Formats: sequence, C-alpha cells, structure tokens
Amino acid sequence: MTTKLMGTKVARVEDERFLRGQGRYADDVLAGPHTLHAAVLRSPHAHARIRDIDVDAVLDLDGVHAVWTYDDLDGPMAEPLPLLIPHPALTHGRTQYALANGEVNHVGEAVAFVVADDRYVAEDALDRIRVDYEVLPAVVGIDRARAAEHLVHDDVPGNIGARLEQQNGDARAAIDAAPHTLSLDLTVERSACTPLEGRGTVARWDPDSGRLQVWTSTQTSTGVRAAVAAKLGLDLGRVDVITPDVGGGFGVKINHPWPEELLVPLAAIRLGRPVKFTEDRREHFVSSAHERGQVHHVEVGFDDEGRILGLDVQFWHDHGAYTPYGLIVPIITSTQLLGPYKPGAYRVVFESLYTNTVMVTPYRGAGRPQGCFVMERTMDAIAAALGKDRAEVRAANFIQPDEFPYDQGLIFQDGRELEYDSGDYPALLEKIKALVGWDDFPARKAAAAAEGRRLGIGLACYVEGTGVGPYEGAHVHVETSGRVKVATGLTTQGQGHQTVFAQLVADVLGVPMEDVEVVTGDTRRMPYAVGTFASRAAVMSGSAVHLAALRTKEKALRIAAEALEVDEGDLELADGVVRVKGAPESQISLGTVAVLSNPLRYAFDEASKAATQFSVGDPGKPPVAEDDEPGLEGTDFYSPERSTFASGMHAVIVETDPDTAEIKILQYAVAHDCGNLINPMIVEGQIHGGVAQGVAGALFERMAYDDSGQLLNASFMDFLMPYVTEVPESIDIDHQETPSPLNPLGIKGAGEAGVIPSAAVFAAAIEDAEGIPITAMPISPSELFELRRHHASEEDS
Amino acid sequence: MRISGVHQVPFGPDRVWDALLDPAVLVATIPGCERLEAIPRDGAEPAYAMTVTAGVAAIRGTYAGHCTLSDLVPHRSLVMALSGTGAPGTVDATVRVGFAEVEPGVTRIEYDADAVVGGMVGGVGQRMLTSVSRRMAAEFFDNVANALAGGGVPAEAGEPAAAAPAATVFTAPPRPASSRQDFLAGIAVGAGLVLAGVIAGAAFGRRR
Repeated sequence: MTTKLMGTKVARVEDERFLRGQGRYADDVLAGPHTLHAAVLRSPHAHARIRDIDVDAVLDLDGVHAVWTYDDLDGPMAEPLPLLIPHPALTHGRTQYALANGEVNHVGEAVAFVVADDRYVAEDALDRIRVDYEVLPAVVGIDRARAAEHLVHDDVPGNIGARLEQQNGDARAAIDAAPHTLSLDLTVERSACTPLEGRGTVARWDPDSGRLQVWTSTQTSTGVRAAVAAKLGLDLGRVDVITPDVGGGFGVKINHPWPEELLVPLAAIRLGRPVKFTEDRREHFVSSAHERGQVHHVEVGFDDEGRILGLDVQFWHDHGAYTPYGLIVPIITSTQLLGPYKPGAYRVVFESLYTNTVMVTPYRGAGRPQGCFVMERTMDAIAAALGKDRAEVRAANFIQPDEFPYDQGLIFQDGRELEYDSGDYPALLEKIKALVGWDDFPARKAAAAAEGRRLGIGLACYVEGTGVGPYEGAHVHVETSGRVKVATGLTTQGQGHQTVFAQLVADVLGVPMEDVEVVTGDTRRMPYAVGTFASRAAVMSGSAVHLAALRTKEKALRIAAEALEVDEGDLELADGVVRVKGAPESQISLGTVAVLSNPLRYAFDEASKAATQFSVGDPGKPPVAEDDEPGLEGTDFYSPERSTFASGMHAVIVETDPDTAEIKILQYAVAHDCGNLINPMIVEGQIHGGVAQGVAGALFERMAYDDSGQLLNASFMDFLMPYVTEVPESIDIDHQETPSPLNPLGIKGAGEAGVIPSAAVFAAAIEDAEGIPITAMPISPSELFELRRHHASEEDS
Repeated sequence: MRISGVHQVPFGPDRVWDALLDPAVLVATIPGCERLEAIPRDGAEPAYAMTVTAGVAAIRGTYAGHCTLSDLVPHRSLVMALSGTGAPGTVDATVRVGFAEVEPGVTRIEYDADAVVGGMVGGVGQRMLTSVSRRMAAEFFDNVANALAGGGVPAEAGEPAAAAPAATVFTAPPRPASSRQDFLAGIAVGAGLVLAGVIAGAAFGRRR
C-alpha cells in the first residue's frame, strides 16, 4: 500500500533545480540576440505637469527601434489602466496611464518607452529624451494628505479616495457606559515587498499562427492575459500568458497589468520581434508598489476583567498616487483587526488617501500587520491600565471553541460575511505560553535586571482570513505512460506548489510522487484561474487539485472495472496500478487504463494496439458513451462560500542595550493553526520566511520619503534588509490543527501568517523591556534612543 | 534637503566679489563646470544657463542648469532660484548667500540651500550629498582663493568661446580631474550644481 503523503514532510521537488541555478525566470526567456530590450523613462518629480517631451535626439540613434510617449498610444491603450477591484465606497478611484498623460503623480511614473537592440542602447536613448516639467507641490505622508493644502488629483477633494465605515453594535454608547476607557494613537510606516526578482515581461508575436505569447513575473497569469487581450484588442484565445519561475512576489506582483506588461506585447506586435523588459532595483523601488503606511486612533471601553465592551477605531490609509487594487488593504485592516476577540461592540471607519508616492498593493499580511498592531497594542494598554497579566486580558476576550462558526457582523475583503469557520484560541494561547516560557519570564527578567540587562517579552495574536474566492481549478491527466500531468492556473513564486499538489494527487491516484508533474500559471494548460494571493493556493488550488484527482480516479475505476470484469467497489489504486482488493495479482496499470480510455482507430505503439477498434469495445454501444469523454482526465473547480480563518500567536523575548539601544532577539516562538497540514516542512518554511520578513518590517525596513516625494533609500545600500544574522537563529514552532469545515482537505492558508504579528509582538517586547510606550513601528535603535531621551526629559519636567 | 555652510577667504569682500564676477575664473574653478552663458532678459532679473558634467560610474552625466537671481545686495547677499536637469537626476534649489568682512581682508561667505534632488541621484546618492557638498564647497573656495593669490585670473583659466557673441559664453580649459574631485563630484553632483549655480549667479548678477 502506498504511504499517505498528505501531512508528511516530503522534500521539495523544486529545490534541486533552484539550488543548481536552473531556475528559469522571465529574464531567462528568449535570451537570444533576436530579442529587443525595453527601458522606461521615469519621472524624477513626485508631482508635475508635462509641458513637452522632446524625443528628436533619439530618433536617429543607432539600435533604437521605437520610442513612445503617451501620444503614440491609441484606443484602449490610451485609456487609464484598469481599476481592478471597484468598491462602492471608492468614490474617487484613479489609475495611471500606461505612459503619463500630461501629469506625473509620483517619482518613477512611466513617461516614455524605448525599445532598442539591448538595454544599454535603450538606456542611452532615455538619456537623450528631454522632458519639460512644471513642478507642482508634492503631497507626501498622511498628515499632509489629510491637511489637503495641496491636492494630488485636482478632481479629488481632500485627497480622499474613499471613506468606509462598518459597525457591529453601538460602540460609542458601549464606550461611554464602560467602567474604564483608553485612547491610543498608533502609526505604522510604509514598507514594501522587495522581492529579489523585480518585475519582468517578455513577449513574442507569432505572425504565422497569429498568437501572442507573454511571459511575465506575475501572481496572476489569467489576470494579465485578460488585461493584455482587452488593451491590445485581441481575442482572448490568441493570447497565452505563461508565468515562469518567479523570484518572489509577496503581493506586489498581484497588481496587473503594469504599464510594461502592456507596452512590451504591443511593441512585440508592432515591431515583429520578441521584446523584453527587466526591471532594475531602483525602478522596483520607485515604480512598483508599497504598503503598510497607516495612522490609527483607537478608543476603547472595558470592564474590570479587561473585556472590551466597545471599540472605536478610526484610521487613515496612505494608498499612494493611484488605486488600481481598490480598498483591499484598508478593508482587511478594518476587519481582521478583531483577531481572535469578540468586543461587545465595534465601529471602524477609514479614509483612504492620495499622496504623491508609489501606489499601494497588498504586501504579505496585507493590512493585517497594521490591524494586529492596533488590536494587540490596545490589549497591552488595557492590561497595563488594570495591572493585569497581558495573556489573561487576551484570554478574557477570546471567542470560545464552542462559538464557531462565529459571525463578526462585518463584510470582509471578498464581499462576504466575516464569519470565522473554526479555531481554538484558548488552547493556542496555552501552547504559546508554554513554548516561550511566559509564566517563568518575570523571574528571568528580574535575574537579568540584577546583571544590568534589560529583557522584555511580547505576545501577539492574529486571525487570518485565507483562501478567498472566487475559485480555482485543476486539470489532472494520466498519460498512457502512467505519468500524471497536473495543471492549475494560479502561479507559483516559491511556495512549493510542485511538491504539495503532487502529494495530493499521488495520494488520490496511488501513484509514486515522482510520476506526478505539476504546472502552474500557464494559461495554455488551465485558462480559468484567479491568482496567488491571500494565502489561498493550498486552500483553493489544493482543493481543486484534490477534486480533479478524485474525478480522474472515478474514471480510472470505471474503465478498469470493465476491463477486469469486476465491480468498481472491489478495486483500489496503489503503486501505479488499479487492482482487485485482496487479489492484487488481478490488476491493470494506470497507463493501460489511460490507453483504454481513448478508443483508437490508429495504433501508434504496442500499448495503443489494445485500444484500437478491432481489439476492444462493445459493438452494441458507442465507443465513447454519451455522457463520457475520451482520455483519462479530470477537471474540477473549487469555489468556497467564504474564506477559512487560520490563527496564530507569536511571542518574542528581546534584550535592549542600555547604552546603544540595540534590539537583540533572544527567543522567538510561534504557535499557529492552519488546519490540516499538507506538508509540515513547507508550512514551517513559510513561518520562518514570514518571521524573517516580519523582523525586517518591525526593526529595519521603511520607505524614507523626503518632503518633496523623493524616495531617499531606493537601493539595497540604503534600504535595510536584514541578513540572516539579524533573524532569530531558531524559531520554536508548535502546530495546532483545527480542520476547516469549508474545504475537502480541512486546510487553511499559511503563506502570510508569519509576518502578521511582528510589529505588534516586537513593540510589546520592547515596551516591556524599556517601560516606555511604543506606539509607532518600525523602530530603529536610534529611534529607541531618542524615545528614551524624550521619556526621561518628560519625567524630569 | 538643506545644505548650508560657512567659509572664510583671506581677501576682502570687494576682491572676492569681483573675482567671482569673472566667468573665466568660475568656469575654471567650479568642479565639472564646462560652460556658462548669460541669458538676455531685458529689464528682468538676470538669468543664466550653465552646463556641468560630473559623475562617477552609473550616475555620470551632463546637467543643463538655469538660475535666476533676486534680492541682489552688492557685496552683501543674494537669493538664487536654480534648476538643473541631467540624465542622472534633477536639482531644484533656492539658495541664500551672504558675504561679510569679518576682519579687514577676510570675507566670510555663508550659504544656505534648500534643495530638492530627484531622479537617480536623489534615490541613490542623497544620503551622502550633504557632507560631500560641504567638502566640495571648501574645495571650490580654496580654488578661488588660490586664483586671487595668483593675481586674479589663474593662468589656466577659461576663455571666451571663439564663436560666442559678445563674450557671454565661457568654456572651461582642459584640466585633469583629480580622482578625489571626480569622486566627490560624482556622488554629490546635485549639490555641486547648487553650489556652482550660487557662484555663477553671484558673479553674473554683479556684472549686470
């Protein structure tokens, strides 16, 4: 009997290829000399009117094939880029043009596009383009956006793109009636995904077949395909989008189409040559997308136990210059802020504001890190106000295991109710307390203090809606060789989909895992798909792959039963064959079943002779039954009613240097629950990566804009990405599995979880070590040093 | 970005001011400055065009700059609005410059620039601009002082370009750029342009 692979630590099949440098990324595609290279002239100003663009000096430059400005675009290409996710509250949504139409609204916005023999010539050509700008005042930061002394878009009053309010109960009245109240102001700065591979697009127009092929580093092949077809006026059936290996996405690559994703295919068609664009690092900093920048005001009323009776949250979201991704990030903050808790009443209102900075798309965690920071800082403040243990206050507010499904009374980012499907938060709290040594910490802290050392502990809890719809699909095909080809439409950027989906198929079809090959993000193989975001691949495509494999299995059993002349119920699939239970010598290989599934007129090899018309078939019936199809294949789709809610709790112990304010991580613990695990090793890898990215966001990374909208740290020399030396050497992990009732495998997403509680947990630990309120993240040693000085001078006065 | 500094030159304000009036001196002493041209603007505040080539590695390039002067108080102070554009970046600045005789024969020059540096230089080199620009300024003022000590116009000073009408265009003489100067100019090309503009503005402002 084949061992069940789901739930086991199967080694990733991708890694050998990656570790040997055999990954194949967008820039590796069509690397020959026939391919032309594109470069983009970008605005050096955060806000300016374009008076004139003079490209004369480029026209006679050797090796330049095209130079375009907005005036060279027509039809749908001359319209603004799509607003991907409209929302009734987004009353003033604005998107950019593929090339700036008379105005630029952030440093880095695309102004002109050059195609040349190589990137060197293309960049030299950019140098010769003269743009006459009338520089306008730049709106940078939430304070200046709110003050609205200047406007980003003349027709957007107050710089307000959207205002959205949701409530459950009368929070104001509950706070007014509460025995205790507090108010807090909490800030999270901008940061960004910064995948090591930036954006990249390659396109080839095949005039013989009339097809356009696009390779792009994206999180949604089908999304890019639809956008390219619409913008270029091509039938969908003539556009293939293939996502090769992707060197990191983390959210930024879910936005589409980028200007280059349209301009490159257009150039390939117009010039009749393959065209490639590979973004450089500085371009990525100033022309892709950022996230996280929000300012929050919290008012909370609570009882003597610390139970929240009313919670009123206002916040302001800096969405940058444009809103192609709608309100997804602030909606997630406003809903997922609640975490595992059930406040008596809740009201949240946010304004989504324009600034002359790079636009916002979700960044791993997608608004949850801010929401978690707000809620967990509030919990800590309540505990401090009551002199209670921080874990105890949290426990007093938990939704209990017998209360699921639990409806929070709000609308989530997918337009569905925010209804938690399952979880066990009290048990998870016990796990994290045990893992980090919560109850023993006061003694440890006191002992360290006696040696002149400052230790602090922090705890943060989150709930994450994962696996949002609308759907994903999968196609499973057993070839006559017995090998299994699996395709799912969403893309892969390092998650290990080739491994986990093969595990699922191998389990259902009883074939060795090495016989299963998984393809993702290729519209030729699976044209219906949504994309890889919101920790949804395992839940959505995992479920679809499982269902498609079950369909394939059903068909295999039916055909084998006929061939072996036994009842389907007596058959089982194992070791690559279909066999009679209890009589394994009576068997037929899956490859032979595949042969028999496709009635043939013509044989092409020995095996296929068995399927030809004089060998098989009941002369009294059609060779393919009325409700059947040839081939041993199965296609199925999974479309859940709503998201499934994973949860977790992180704890960290930090030591702060009394002199330098350096922040050192002594211990990091994670207790989490993503339902049933397909591959615990991959889940742990996701947690490790998430924690590392969380450390980065809490202690190192930020976007340093000056008042004029220049990003001052647009390089890896100035943007502090932590090395492995800054990430905890070991992370203690404990899994809890409360299966999701919403999907056939009982799984929940795990991709973003590791990063969600970081800002909250580090703020709590640093505050515990220092005795100074930490209300803004990220925090650097110099900022902590200044906080100490400020705090000391306040105490003196 | 604020760039400010103070320098002392061992000559009186009249001599310093007059030396700075001479575009042939300036074009020879400002790091990377290749060309200065007065833009005729009848009756309006004076304005100038200039070209600076500077840079290192990926951020080398030629900058075309303009400056406009206002609030001119001869031998005392002026305010200049400056803009410069080149492939590696852009500079927009407002600079206040003051001259004062702190003791007989010694001039104290104060400048305070509020600059917006954009493009590649803004994103990559800005971190170092402030400190490097001060060093560049010191180097420039030393050059000017040397020129004065050498009897006004240095021997290798620039000359009016042959084709230029009425000697309003000045080009720099060929000179080997010291590696230090080249490096500094590269990193702080934006700041260099600001400072070059300050001095050019001061000089031409007085001449008119």
